[in-house]
Amino acid sequence: MIEVEGIAKKFKLSRKQLREMEKRPSQPFVWAVDGVSFVCRPGRIFTLLGPNGAGKTTTLRLLATMLKPERGRIHVAGYDTVTEAEMVRRRIGFLTGSTGLYARLSPAELVRYYADLHGMDRGEFQKRRDDLFALLGIDEFAHRRIATLSSGMKQKVSIARTMIHDPEVVIFDEPTVGLDVVTARHIIQLIRSCRDQGKTVIFSTHIMGEVALLSDDLAVIHRGRLVHSGPFDSFRLQMKSRSLEDEFIRLVGEA
Amino acid sequence: MKRAWIVFKKEWLDVLRDRRTILMMVVIPLLIFPALMNLAARLTISQRQKAETRPLRLALIRADAAPELMRLLQGHGDLKLDPRVTTAAEAGARLRAGTLDFVLIPDADFAERVAAKGSGGLVLMYKSSEEIRIAKKRITDVVAVFEKTLVDNRLKGLGLEPGVVQAVAVREQDVATVKQRLGEAIGGFLPYIFVIFCFIGAMYPAIDLAAGEKERGTIETLLASPAGRGEIVLGKFAVVTLTGLASAAVSMVGLYLSIKLSRDIPGALLDAVFRIIEWKTILLVFSLLLPLAACFAALLLAVSIFARTFKEAQSIMTPLNFLVIFPVFIGLFPGITLDPLTAAVPVLNVSLATREIIAGTAAPLLLAETYLSLFAVAALSLWFCSRQFNREEIIFR
Repeated sequence: MIEVEGIAKKFKLSRKQLREMEKRPSQPFVWAVDGVSFVCRPGRIFTLLGPNGAGKTTTLRLLATMLKPERGRIHVAGYDTVTEAEMVRRRIGFLTGSTGLYARLSPAELVRYYADLHGMDRGEFQKRRDDLFALLGIDEFAHRRIATLSSGMKQKVSIARTMIHDPEVVIFDEPTVGLDVVTARHIIQLIRSCRDQGKTVIFSTHIMGEVALLSDDLAVIHRGRLVHSGPFDSFRLQMKSRSLEDEFIRLVGEA
Repeated sequence: MKRAWIVFKKEWLDVLRDRRTILMMVVIPLLIFPALMNLAARLTISQRQKAETRPLRLALIRADAAPELMRLLQGHGDLKLDPRVTTAAEAGARLRAGTLDFVLIPDADFAERVAAKGSGGLVLMYKSSEEIRIAKKRITDVVAVFEKTLVDNRLKGLGLEPGVVQAVAVREQDVATVKQRLGEAIGGFLPYIFVIFCFIGAMYPAIDLAAGEKERGTIETLLASPAGRGEIVLGKFAVVTLTGLASAAVSMVGLYLSIKLSRDIPGALLDAVFRIIEWKTILLVFSLLLPLAACFAALLLAVSIFARTFKEAQSIMTPLNFLVIFPVFIGLFPGITLDPLTAAVPVLNVSLATREIIAGTAAPLLLAETYLSLFAVAALSLWFCSRQFNREEIIFR
């Protein structure tokens, strides 16, 4: 479960950014996220939809305790992201489309590293690793250096790294960006299987196809503010435009 | 702390598999000294041998003004006299062109002044270079022999013994021990080597472990793991410190091997050097390196995490090299010694304390001040580095 209550996050603008702005703001910072609230429930996929620079990544980084909010509170799996950050991190898996891997390690070493950081004991780790490697077909290249793997193989390793500690909350930040169709399909399957296992899933995207394919709940974010939040089915029913894309543009345009 | 150890183990494995780091940490420090010393020794020896043995091309203008000197020069088999040069202008041109090595020009009244028991003027022309500087002694030795014969004859004519002109005979006695002289000679040079290698050895891992992590996009997954920022910093800091130390140690091994394997250093001198450099000395010097490596590691990591990319980190760090070399360079100046003021200046204090440790003259209080200063700066640097890792605007810059 993820509960977000009125969070706000501001970023200081650099001198270069200030110089490049047509209209100079009164204060040298920008609100990346402002007054955002939503709830993600276990066994459901929560989609955060927004154009580039809308505040999706900032929101997800706030959930993952990488950033601290200026205002508001976030509870992940029952723990506060500011005061109980470590407890939160123990319970989340985090995957982005631009996630890199340590090229000089093998998939086996990399997954072991994250399992150790999560404090998994040897037996529990072995079983989980064997299951994941078999499911994803990693066994045949488990001991090769990651630098020598194809992008599809690397993405499988990323999935194994994210899921090794069996997190109850999984955060996907634009997970299919830059991936080919086959590899993107692996991610889509992973997101669905997480939901089917009863995990809390939140993923951000700007691809309408993925929204229609995966969403149970939908929030549309634009310029740091939510312009819609609710079950996807009711969103579809209330749409004033013909297509999802048109409705998104209408919502963003009105905001 | 357990997670810091996990981060350390992973980063150390990663660093050991990085060819660039191994090159900077092991290969270059190990091979550079044997290679450079061998090359320098060979070049110096061949230059010296050439200057000391090859026949020198010499011209004596106005030879009739100094016939006895002419005869003496002609009697030297390793001097080739060129009779074709007759004017000073021509001699200058030949020297500049490199077809002559030396030209001697006695004053027109040389013979008269010598006969009248006065001083005969003699010009020695040459075009200076390292080889000519060594070869010049061969010419001045011949002239000195000529002058001594004249002076001895004059003293005999006066009924005096040659020793009468030497009223004072100085007998020098140096009370400095061999160890102290060695400390003076190599004590300033050693820190120059290990401080630089300590810095360079730590530089690449520091870039890879912070800026590299940002560039690869692995920083987010690490920050989303249960490891706290402090644990991540500590693990990375320990690896960078260790690589700096290892690089400095390997450079010393390289230096040791190049001295040990050198055929140009006399065996007796080598024995003396190895008798003087005791384990206690080596351990003391390395105990200075530990806090120094820690300072470098923390500062380099702080700079590295600030940079967006590997390249940006490299461009920020390169000028830092000069900041590190400068205090070591100051330590080489004559008259700069370890005192309460210099013992408080990081890097400079390591340079000066090393000299004192090797010479066996290090004052315990000043050494304590040196350690205190280094540990204080290392702790401050680590605090700064940790602060950088905790700043969102730096991590996600």
